[in-house]
Amino acid sequence: MKSIVVRTFARALTPFILIYGIYLMLFGPLSPGGGFQGGVVLASGVILVLVTHGRKKVKRLTDHVESFDTIGTFIILLFGIVGILIGGSFFINLTPYRMSSLVFLDIIVAIKVFAGVVVLAVFFFEQGVESC
Amino acid sequence: MKENITKRIFTALLVVGICILLIQGMGLSHEDKSDSPLTEFYVENYEETGAINLVEAILFDYRGYDTFGELLVLYIAITGVIILGKEIIKPKGEDQQADDGGEED
Repeated sequence: MKSIVVRTFARALTPFILIYGIYLMLFGPLSPGGGFQGGVVLASGVILVLVTHGRKKVKRLTDHVESFDTIGTFIILLFGIVGILIGGSFFINLTPYRMSSLVFLDIIVAIKVFAGVVVLAVFFFEQGVESC
Repeated sequence: MKENITKRIFTALLVVGICILLIQGMGLSHEDKSDSPLTEFYVENYEETGAINLVEAILFDYRGYDTFGELLVLYIAITGVIILGKEIIKPKGEDQQADDGGEED
């Protein structure tokens, strides 16, 4: 997309979208939001840059983001298994602080969902660019 | 052409079958479950998890196992889309080598 208006607005909006996504991710237990929503909002910021500025501007991010999806899934599985070994049930709170497991899971889930949605968007974007 | 008709009949049967299943599922959920003892337990005790957000308390604390399944579904869906998509939608260069001028898009 070549229009300078669209590019300028995208560049101005993206930091706010990313900050809002991080807020949703970190303050999930205290306010409306959570891991899934935070991850999708973070991904929407990256998708905005991808659509307006092209593939090259986000190449450094999207080259490495594919592995985060898998790593996030396995970290969550590991967290659950450690809970079984120590506390006797899946997803138990491992530290004495309240909400610590909730915030930890929120962050991992947000990274995982972010990676998944970005990978999907980049895939469809590349196919669309190639076929037209 | 014959293959096409068979495919269409199969698709129609599949859609009808899924519709029947969905309608039956809707019938099952007609009874009101909003005042079960479990619901009251969640609403009264969710502050023991430390969260103020009730949805978060249920999603990541009481129902953590379900959330993990949900994440696996998302993971498998994305992996499947990318694997199948790379098979079905081949890049244009490879397509042109296979048959020249066969594309219509």
